[in-house]
Amino acid sequence: MNKLWILIKSEYNQVVKKKSFLIGILLTPLFMVLVTVVPALLMAKKSATTEKTAIIDLDKQGIGEKFKEKLAEYKLDDGGPAYEVAEILTPDPLDSVSIATMKARLDSLILAKEIKSYLVISPDIENKDTAFIVAKSFGFRTSGRFERRLSDIVASLRLEKAKVGVSIDSVLHLTRSVILSEKAPGGRERDFLTVYLGGIIFVMIIFMTVIGYGQILMRAIIEEKNSRIMEVLVSSVSSFQLMASKIIGLGLANLTQVAIWIVIGMGIYAFRGNLDIRADIAEILFNPVFIFFFVVYLILGYIMYSSLFALIGAIVNTDKEAQNFIFPITMSLIFPVILASYFIQEPDSTTAIVLSLIPFFTPTMMILRLSFMGVETFSLSNPIILEAIIGIVITALADILIIWVTARIFRIGILMYGKRPTLPEIVKWVRHG
Amino acid sequence: MHEYLKLENISKRYDDKIAVDNLSLSVPKGSIYGVIGPNGAGKTTTIRMIMDIIAPDAGKVLINGQNAVADFKNKVGYLPEERGLYKKMTLEEIISLLAEIKGCSRNFINERIPIWLDKMSLGEYRKKKVEELSKGMQQKLQFITTLLHEPDLIILDELFSGLDPLNIELIKNILLEEKRRGTTILFSTHVMEQAEKLCDYICLINKGKKVLDGRLAEIKSRFGRNTVHVEAEGDTSFVRSLPGVEKVTEFNNYLELKLNETADSRAILKEIADRLMVRRFEMLTPSLYSIFIDIARVDPDELTRKEPAL
Repeated sequence: MNKLWILIKSEYNQVVKKKSFLIGILLTPLFMVLVTVVPALLMAKKSATTEKTAIIDLDKQGIGEKFKEKLAEYKLDDGGPAYEVAEILTPDPLDSVSIATMKARLDSLILAKEIKSYLVISPDIENKDTAFIVAKSFGFRTSGRFERRLSDIVASLRLEKAKVGVSIDSVLHLTRSVILSEKAPGGRERDFLTVYLGGIIFVMIIFMTVIGYGQILMRAIIEEKNSRIMEVLVSSVSSFQLMASKIIGLGLANLTQVAIWIVIGMGIYAFRGNLDIRADIAEILFNPVFIFFFVVYLILGYIMYSSLFALIGAIVNTDKEAQNFIFPITMSLIFPVILASYFIQEPDSTTAIVLSLIPFFTPTMMILRLSFMGVETFSLSNPIILEAIIGIVITALADILIIWVTARIFRIGILMYGKRPTLPEIVKWVRHG
Repeated sequence: MHEYLKLENISKRYDDKIAVDNLSLSVPKGSIYGVIGPNGAGKTTTIRMIMDIIAPDAGKVLINGQNAVADFKNKVGYLPEERGLYKKMTLEEIISLLAEIKGCSRNFINERIPIWLDKMSLGEYRKKKVEELSKGMQQKLQFITTLLHEPDLIILDELFSGLDPLNIELIKNILLEEKRRGTTILFSTHVMEQAEKLCDYICLINKGKKVLDGRLAEIKSRFGRNTVHVEAEGDTSFVRSLPGVEKVTEFNNYLELKLNETADSRAILKEIADRLMVRRFEMLTPSLYSIFIDIARVDPDELTRKEPAL
C-alpha cells in the first residue's frame, strides 16, 4: 500500500475515533436547532392563545368601543379570537388621581398575568395624535395591529368632523396600503432574514470547520515536533508526504463531518412536521448547484488555510507562540461575514466582485454572494456562476502556491527545535529550500 | 572490504558555522561502526545527511556504491537522538504504522509484533497506550519500531543517551544479534567507554572534521602499549613529574599515565611503590577517551599530516 495512503488513514482515524469528533458532530447541529427552531416553536405556541387587553379611553368619544370591534376581526389559526378586551374604562371625572389609580390597578393585573397589555387613548387624540400601550414586552405584530386600527378609527373621526361628505369606509378603502413582498429573479419569494441567515450558516460552516481542523492540524504538528516523532517519520517518508497526509487526512475528517451535517439538515427538513421552515432555506439546502460550489469552496478554502496552519505549526514551538499568527488567519476568514450585511444589499457591486476574487476571501465571500444572489441552474451566461468558476481557478492556483511555500518551510521547520526562525531565515528556506 | 555506506567529502554549513567539514568515511557491510565525538562535533548533522533529512552542501552519500535510491528509506532503521512516539496510540498501532510506512506487509507485521514484544518483555502491554508505559519501556518500544522491518542498515543517533543500564545491556545484545544477521550498524555517541565495548570500527570527529578513523583494534595498537593504569593510596600528584611520564589523566579511582618512548616503566613503578601503597599497576592500550583527548587537542589538519590515515 502507498505510504501516503497509510499516513492519511492513520491521521483520519486519529481524529474520527476521538470522542470529541462525535460530540462536535452532534452538538453543533443541536446548537443550531436550539437557536433557530426552538424560538420559532415558542413563538408558534405563543400566538396560539388569545391575548387579553384593556383600554383606558381618556378621549371619551367612543374610540375605545370602536377599537374593541376592530380587534375582534383578528382571528387565531384555530378560528378563535386573537384579542379579548377585558374592560374599557372611561374615568369620570378626568382627574389625575383617578387616572393614576386606574393605571395602577391595570399594571397590577399585567404583573398578575390577568391581562397582557392595556391601551391608553389620550384626550383629544385626533389633534394630539398620541396613544400608548403598556405591556411587559411588545411583539412587533401586536403593536403594528394596534397602531393601524387606532389610526383608522381616528382618521374616520377626523373625516366625520371635517364633514367631507365622503363615507369613512370608502376613504379607508381608497387609502389602504399596498403589500410589498420580496422576490428573486425567477419569481421565488426571498425574505431578507432567511437569505441572510441561509448564507451566513454556510459561511459559518466553512469558518468553523476550517479554523477547527486547521488548529487540530497545527497542534498535532507542534506536538509531533516536540515529541520528535517527526524525525522518525521523515526517515520513512518525505516531508511532503508527511504534510500532505496530515492535510488530506484531516480534510477527509472535515468533509465527513460536513456531510453528516448536510444529511442531518435534510433529515430534519424531511421530517419537519408542521415546523415553520422557510421554503427558501430548503431551496438552498436542496440546490445542487449551490451545494456543488459550497463543497468545492469548502475544500479549496480548507486546503489554503490548513496549509497556513501547517506553516505556523512548523515554525513555532508552543501553542502560545502560535496564537499571534492565528489572529490574522481568523480575521481574513471571518472578514466577509463582517461585511455581509452590506453585501446582501449589493451582492454584485464592483467592490463585492473584486473582494470575492481575492484568494484569501474567495471561499467565504463567493458562498455569501452565491446564496444572496441565488443560483438556479449551472449556466455560464449567469455572471455569478462565471465569477464563481473564475474564483475556483484563482483559489486553486493560490492553494498550489501556498502549498509550495509551506512545503519548503515545513521541511526545515519540523526539524528545528528551540529558537523560532526569524523572517529572513524563513525567506531563505523558501528561496533555497 | 565491502563498503555498505560511504560518505565522500560531505560538508554542511549553517549560517555562522561549519557543522561538517569535508568528511569522508567508509562503513563496511556487517560491521558496527561508531561515530564518536563530543557534543557539537557534527555527529547528528552527519547522520541526518546520511538519512537524507538534510542535504549536504557538498559531497556524496553512497549506499552500496550508488546514490541513495528511492527504496533506501525502507531498508534503513533510524533512531534519532530525541525519541518520540504518538502517545495516544496503542503499542500495536504505533508499531504497525511505523512498519507499514517502511513497506512491510500486514502479515509480516502481525507475525513479528508478538516476537519483538516478548523479546523486549512488553508482551502484556500490546493493547496499552504508549503514554501508559514507563520511560524505560518506551525506549524498548522505540527500538522495536526501529528494528522490526529487518533493515539492512541501522542508524542510531546518541545510542546510549537516556538509556538505563539494564536497557543498555539488552540493546547491546540485540545489536550484536542484528550484526550476526549481516546488518550494518552505525551509531553516534559521546560515551566512549560504551562505544569501545561495541564497535568494530570507529571514526572520531571534532568540530566537524574527522580526527581519526579505522578498525578499533588497529587504532589502539597504533597508539601503542604506552599506557599505564595506576591505582594507589595517597597523594599521587608527584607522578606527573616522574621522568618518562608525558601525561596524566585522572579517573575516579585510578590514574592513566601516558609514557614517552624513552620511559622506563619499571623505574616508574618502583618510584611510585616506594612512596605509596600500590594496588594496581597495569600496562595496556590506551582508552578511546585518552586517545581522543590526546588528539583532539591538536589541529586535525596537523594530525592527518603526522599520522597518515589507515
